[in-house]
Amino acid sequence: MVDVRKIRGGEGLDDINDELDEILDSVVENTRQATEAFFAAYDENPDPKILAAWLQPRAWREIDYVFLLNEQIRRYGLAFERRHITLLAKQSFQEAEHYEMVGRAIESLGGEVPVSAPPQAKPWSDFLWDCLERHPLAAIAAWNCSETSASGSFEPTFKAGERHGFDEVVRIYKQIENDEKFHVGLGRQVLAAYAKTDRDREEILRAMRGMRDIAWKTFTPESVAQARQA
Amino acid sequence: MTTFDSCSLEQASKLLDLVITRLDRVAENVLSIELAAPNGEPLPSWQAGAHIDVLLPGGIVRQYSLCGDPDRTDHWRIGVLRDPCSRGGSIYVHEELKIGGGLTVAGPRNNFGLVDSTRYLFIAGGIGITPIIPMIRAVAGQRKPWTLLYGGRSRRSMAFLDDIALISGGETHIVPQDEFGLLDLDRFLGRYDPATAVYCCGPSPLLNAVEKKCQTWQAGALHLERFAPSEKVATRETGSFEVELARSGRHIVVPPYRSLLDILEENGCQVTNSCRAGICGTCLVRVLSGVPEHNDDVLSRADQEAGEVMLVCVSRAKSDRLVLDL
Repeated sequence: MVDVRKIRGGEGLDDINDELDEILDSVVENTRQATEAFFAAYDENPDPKILAAWLQPRAWREIDYVFLLNEQIRRYGLAFERRHITLLAKQSFQEAEHYEMVGRAIESLGGEVPVSAPPQAKPWSDFLWDCLERHPLAAIAAWNCSETSASGSFEPTFKAGERHGFDEVVRIYKQIENDEKFHVGLGRQVLAAYAKTDRDREEILRAMRGMRDIAWKTFTPESVAQARQA
Repeated sequence: MTTFDSCSLEQASKLLDLVITRLDRVAENVLSIELAAPNGEPLPSWQAGAHIDVLLPGGIVRQYSLCGDPDRTDHWRIGVLRDPCSRGGSIYVHEELKIGGGLTVAGPRNNFGLVDSTRYLFIAGGIGITPIIPMIRAVAGQRKPWTLLYGGRSRRSMAFLDDIALISGGETHIVPQDEFGLLDLDRFLGRYDPATAVYCCGPSPLLNAVEKKCQTWQAGALHLERFAPSEKVATRETGSFEVELARSGRHIVVPPYRSLLDILEENGCQVTNSCRAGICGTCLVRVLSGVPEHNDDVLSRADQEAGEVMLVCVSRAKSDRLVLDL
């Protein structure tokens, strides 16, 4: 009934909507598979510190979004309708809340909340900030893909939560799930509203394709294992 | 670092302090204003349909379409109607601006760009002619067929008629209402022609009428620019309505300018939500009776027309009373 990818508010993506949806479907599926693989491994060794390590790049994503959204508004804000500035700022606030919430969950599991980009999240972060430098809509496209990817992780996380009883993590991610519908819809609306030229659309596609290849990787058990060995 | 095209967002976010180089009364209550860089440097380029944000004292920001020649980078031109319902913007422009004075602007940016088409129909009402003039020039320059339908209250109130007369190669219909009545939309929009791109700018009643004529047309065939908020936006805040919460039988009243979601929360009724802007869809509620007025951006048109659900963060009621599954 509600599909935030079909948000109204602009025609700038009409020619590439199908390709964008293919990219997003692909990254959601890859993230779902990576998350399922992580919790299958976690079932064998349900050490809370492993779950905390898995959450660390999630926490970094949240705070990096805060930095990036504010920089996006600072650089390009006056080109947006005031409503969109307000909503991007609201998204930024919610991302900060998520950082706080996920941070609390990490601490409750005996982990440490990241205050710099964890090595496994570095390619993701670098790509996002590179997009901001390239084009006014590229970072929005990249984080829209990244935020969408996270939706693939929710259901496997909730199911694992039932098995292992990490109710607080589930409660936090239920809230994040709601907010990410807003963030995904807002990103899509902003892209559709302000993409005007073929070059805009090429940059959006480039950013989404690039993020598709990165966003799911930190959800894998291998990523967590490497981070714990480092 | 990459370079951006003429109407890029980066360019549009920069503030420019410009000098007023010319002021002309071009019609009753319409002021033409030419702006240039103080040092004579070229202004950022723009394309037909673009507008600039004009920053006025008291934090007032107004958008005005560029109506000059995009090839002229030595100055920009805007046309400003003195709005009888002005909240300060157009009154200031008409009464306070002087040649040699400064004006801070942002832009240009373009939300109303020309698409490629075989032929074009331009419909303008009143000051809505401003973005249309550069469009006609661009299309005429490409030697493509075009038709202009331009209406206004009276000939004296219709700006830039001389400019329009100089553009050749098209079909122009100047329709002052006091001479010929309203624009004959049936004649020009009676039949859908996929080879014709239709551009319309003007007051809400004209845009609504054009939108209605074209409602069965293929999406993307009609291009509108409103210079006032749509009626839907205007009405969504006004008028109170009653809501019955079916599960408890309680009745609450939603006053004007308050959101239904706010009133529900104030009455202890928790509804999941996130954006409070009609985007995320998380505050979806079932409507058991009454007719919702949908103001969201995410419910499908079919769901909106069915009226069985609504997003309570932004939507209100067309009927006096709604019964919600809460």
